[in-house]
Amino acid sequence: MKQIEDNIRELNKLQNLQQRSHWMNKLHPLGKLLVCVIYIFVVASFDKYAMDKLLVMAVFPAFCFIVGDLSLKDGLYRMRLILPLVLFVGVFNPIFDRKELFSIAAFGNQIPVTGGVISMLTLMLKGLFSVLSAYILIATTSIEEICYALRCLHVPKIIVIVIMLIYRYFGLMGAEADRITTAYMLRAPKQKGIHYSAWGSLVGQWLLRSMDRASAVYESMTLRGFNGDFRVKRKIVSARDFLYPFIWIVLFILLRHFY
Amino acid sequence: MHTGAKGEILKIEDLHFSYEKGEEVLSGVNLTAHDGESIGIIGANGIGKSTLMKLLVGLKLDYQGVLEVAGHAVNKKNLSHIREHIGYVFQDSDSQLFLSTVEEDVAFGPTNYGLPPEEVERRVNEALLKVHMTDLRTRHNYNLSGGEKKLAAIATILSMEPDIIIMDEPSIALDPRNRRNLIKILNEINALKIVTSHDLDFIMDTCKRVVLLDEGRIIADGSADEILKDKELLESHGLELPLSLSRR
Repeated sequence: MKQIEDNIRELNKLQNLQQRSHWMNKLHPLGKLLVCVIYIFVVASFDKYAMDKLLVMAVFPAFCFIVGDLSLKDGLYRMRLILPLVLFVGVFNPIFDRKELFSIAAFGNQIPVTGGVISMLTLMLKGLFSVLSAYILIATTSIEEICYALRCLHVPKIIVIVIMLIYRYFGLMGAEADRITTAYMLRAPKQKGIHYSAWGSLVGQWLLRSMDRASAVYESMTLRGFNGDFRVKRKIVSARDFLYPFIWIVLFILLRHFY
Repeated sequence: MHTGAKGEILKIEDLHFSYEKGEEVLSGVNLTAHDGESIGIIGANGIGKSTLMKLLVGLKLDYQGVLEVAGHAVNKKNLSHIREHIGYVFQDSDSQLFLSTVEEDVAFGPTNYGLPPEEVERRVNEALLKVHMTDLRTRHNYNLSGGEKKLAAIATILSMEPDIIIMDEPSIALDPRNRRNLIKILNEINALKIVTSHDLDFIMDTCKRVVLLDEGRIIADGSADEILKDKELLESHGLELPLSLSRR
């Protein structure tokens, strides 16, 4: 029960972060989305042994976390579900790639460093940087703005609507799960967790109730003119909105090719 | 604003509706309403009040009879037009507020109808002013209290400047101060208001006309003074006198 409450609170905190009046939040979402996507592509394009070169790409998350007043600790905490997956990707490389690249001296011994270890660390860094850049995007841009940016890129309307509704549905399902588990726990104070005999009916109730809530929300949307397209207030584009993506994208290309 | 032949903004004639064949929820409802009226729909639980409201806004279309809003029949073809004229405030405000902030939610309706940004901005300002929520415009919906959520839900409808406002149990779960505030706000709105509620004191404070529903039919339709003071009539249809009258 506490975990559900905590997750809802986390989602709420993230939404509060998106509503800040910081200049990075006010940038045009299309620029931020492009920077994020291109950054991920550039990071992913580095050679598997190019860990030293890849480290330079930390400049983007470092800049955004420092200048954007974002907490790295909170960022890592909020991405805790994805991080183990991206860190796990290269975990078997040291077993399969045993080619020695160099050795390091430690405590009077020479410790060989294999290609597998380097490629594992490179993959981990790539994953970490990609997750952090995605976090920077969602911490400074609301879901409506991200969807607006996707529409600017001519992503099909149906896909954008589905993304937006899934995001809304998460909060709604979380709130329903919280209510149901609270009601259960209050009448089963001595139980630790939910007894397996109640799982079926609780999950069934949860789905039915969240579907009811979702259809009420949908009705409310259609009654206010929703016809399958979210109209976000058109953003006025300033010089800063051009400069931000331009500088970053040029920098990414320079770092990739000349460093 | 369009009206019917006799100047009515809402016209219901011999309306029948059933969820399942043979079990009519509404059977032969007749009602007309004019601009600026305030009508309270009362009745015990499960007699079809909410169903009637859903029919009015076109959430259910498989009815029999005549149902016209602002001179247009409620059918699939006219839905978009009808919904520009009619606003529905849900019983559960959480269902009404689905965007991040109060401001975004209030702007949702006018933006969807393709109004220019300056007009959307004007309507948002005006709607928030009417419900005394200008200070909370950037507040996250999640952080609003129950009373504030209700007022924000009303603002989302006011920003569409509808000719008809329908409210389903608006006073539910409000503390006395918020309830009094809501009554004041509702009495300042000039549109045709249709309020369904079990809270007969609330109906007495906000509506001049009352319609009593039972078994899918209109049992009584008259002034609030006349119907809400009729103990015998109310009790015979599963209701009781408003608390303020029963204490006398």
